[in-house]
Amino acid sequence: MDLGLAGKVAIVTGGSLGIGQSVALELAREGANVAVNYRRHDKEANAVVGEIDSMGQQGMAVQADVSSYADAQKMVDTVVEKFGRLDILVCNAGITWDGVIWKMTEAQWDAVIGVNLKGYFNYNRAAAKVFKDQKSGKIVNVSSINGMRGKFGQSNYAASKGGEIALSKSLAKELGKFNVNVNVVAPGMVLTDMMATIPPEFQQTALDETVVGRFATPEDVANLILFLCSDVSRHLTGEVIKIDGGQYI
Amino acid sequence: MFSWFGQVSFVPFSKVMEFARHLKNGRLMGTKCKSCSYTIFPPRADCPECMSGDFEFKEYSGKGKVFTYSTIAAAPTGFEALAPYTVAVVELDEGGRLLAMLGDTLDAATLDIGMDVQVVPRIDEEVPQIKVYYTIEKAGVTWKKAPPHTVD
Amino acid sequence: MSRVGVIGIGHGRFGRRSDATVQELAFEAYRMAMQDAGIQRQDIDASVIGAVPEYHKQRSIAGVIQEYLNLNPAPTWLTEVACASGSAAIRTAWMSIKAGLHDVVVVIGCQKMTELATPEILALMGRVGEVQWESVFGTTFPAYYAMFATAHTKQFGTTHEQMLKVAMKNHYYGAQNPNALFQKEITMEKALASEAVASPFQVYDCCANADGAACVILASEEKAKAMSDKVVWLDGIGCATASMSVLNRPNLVSLPSAADAAKQAYKMAGIKASDVKVAEVHDCFTIAEIMAYEDLGFCKKGDGGKFIDEKQSYIGGSTPVNVDGGLKSKGHPIGATGVSMTYEIISQLRGDSGVRQVPNADIGLTHNVGGIGQYTFVHVYKRD
Repeated sequence: MDLGLAGKVAIVTGGSLGIGQSVALELAREGANVAVNYRRHDKEANAVVGEIDSMGQQGMAVQADVSSYADAQKMVDTVVEKFGRLDILVCNAGITWDGVIWKMTEAQWDAVIGVNLKGYFNYNRAAAKVFKDQKSGKIVNVSSINGMRGKFGQSNYAASKGGEIALSKSLAKELGKFNVNVNVVAPGMVLTDMMATIPPEFQQTALDETVVGRFATPEDVANLILFLCSDVSRHLTGEVIKIDGGQYI
Repeated sequence: MFSWFGQVSFVPFSKVMEFARHLKNGRLMGTKCKSCSYTIFPPRADCPECMSGDFEFKEYSGKGKVFTYSTIAAAPTGFEALAPYTVAVVELDEGGRLLAMLGDTLDAATLDIGMDVQVVPRIDEEVPQIKVYYTIEKAGVTWKKAPPHTVD
Repeated sequence: MSRVGVIGIGHGRFGRRSDATVQELAFEAYRMAMQDAGIQRQDIDASVIGAVPEYHKQRSIAGVIQEYLNLNPAPTWLTEVACASGSAAIRTAWMSIKAGLHDVVVVIGCQKMTELATPEILALMGRVGEVQWESVFGTTFPAYYAMFATAHTKQFGTTHEQMLKVAMKNHYYGAQNPNALFQKEITMEKALASEAVASPFQVYDCCANADGAACVILASEEKAKAMSDKVVWLDGIGCATASMSVLNRPNLVSLPSAADAAKQAYKMAGIKASDVKVAEVHDCFTIAEIMAYEDLGFCKKGDGGKFIDEKQSYIGGSTPVNVDGGLKSKGHPIGATGVSMTYEIISQLRGDSGVRQVPNADIGLTHNVGGIGQYTFVHVYKRD
């Protein structure tokens, strides 16, 4: 199947690590030009750009705090100015800051909502303006199965991930007539750096939840995201696809 | 599908209703008779010259000149909120005429018969359903068209 | 070739006739025409009704009127071409008499406009343009003619004041017509201060909706001469159409259907434009009368504004026009208008128009337009 991504221009937030990094590199492998943002991880972001360039595509690393409305607009403007267009937005940047609610601070709540939910709003909005004028575009928002169910100690994270789903569905309705697809990918446990912070007993619980007995690799998730960035999935919109090895059926 | 077209629609179906889908993708279409090549705008399914019903769509640039106009103060049902608004007849460079409202780049006060204008395809952004139309804008206004894969 | 003549005429009061049904309105005009002709019900072979059905709650109007006029089982049917329905009925009656099928035919033009609420009426009227490509952008009937006015001004320099002078003339004569809706003169100041409708038109550029009916009775030459000593002959008949959509007209400064219909009527009657002594034209809007002067050849193309400036369409001018008040003052019950015009011309040619009489009127003309010029009927009448 030819995904037809050659020559497309993509933005991947949180593209210097984990799922985002894998998506950025896979897109480049398929012939797309990719811009990634970084807040602190400039070395990793530049390394990704270097790999993209070595594949013969154009990469770009932009410093932008996803929770900043202005930064997001500026990054989209910068990418459009350089490449003349934008075809794909993958929102993936996200953080956790767990705690039971009676101990959760205001800062914990604001930070997670700010980066995860508001961050997706910031980028989705800036990209939507470009896509609706172009009368074409793809948005893939990476959520989580923990946005579809409750999770102990993650009221802020789950709220942000659930919010991303409702946001995406609303945007699917607003942007459909402009030939823009907006979909959600909801992974379960993925083998990334974020996982390293999870205690082993919780990792085992998660493994037991899956029916396939393994966790996703970033490439597993990237493959699904690439499908959703392609015109072969032009009839899919407003959809939420879990990719969790059966963790939450 | 033709009910997508216009601020208020009276015609839900037509043999040329794909006109509305093309307009949604940013393309203003007339029709060309496959039998005798007679081309006409607005589009029609049945050739007025040779009577053939075999037609194809042909894209128009939307460039034209103001033919006449009027600013409507007493509006019909469905248009009360827009009054007063100006409608104009535009003579298209490639032949044929169309009628539409002025868009944001034109003011009724500066309108003159014979001036160059640009007809621009529009999608109503403020409503959930699909509504398409076109407006009359200053000459030189541009817009983007959807890539070919979006048209079946 | 034998002629067709008018032997009886009748006209009801035009206005907001909530006192009567459409068949009761028709009967007012019918009774008058029958008494004027001095004939009996048994003398009538058929009737033709000119009316626009969409405005009535009653379906199939012709049948209801035929029953009320007590003309069953004589044939009847409806003719509808928007505002020219009345003239279409007359043309149809003429055709049936010429064909030898009928000898005496009653023509009723009738209409109730006010059974519907005003917004409904506006919406319906607006859809006499092209619904697929024009009405979708909020066109109205006045707006169409207003666009003609804009173009006429650009091309010929016709001013809005000149257009309003037409309204002033028609109100001047309407004030002397007891059948008219508006029987008051208007001033230029009042007209210029009236509400905007569709630029350049204000309220006084536009005719008003009204209810009403008129009736004429046509007969074959043989029967006419036997039954009446004041026959007026329908000697010239013309009819032509133009595209429904103004987008497909050759220009928007004239009505080609009117010019075409006039040519046919003049040829059949063996006259030229300057022979017409009195005319009734379709002044649904002020510019329509100005274009009619030009389309009918009363003046050169583009000189319509000058024509009214010089008062050539007043009694005493080169061609008196609408000296019964026209649509502007009478109101416009759309199916009735064509027959109302005919009533006036017949009166004038008989010498029965009293204070509004045009001296030596022996050749008269009606110019009745449907919609925005989709159909025009021009009839030329002669008094021997």
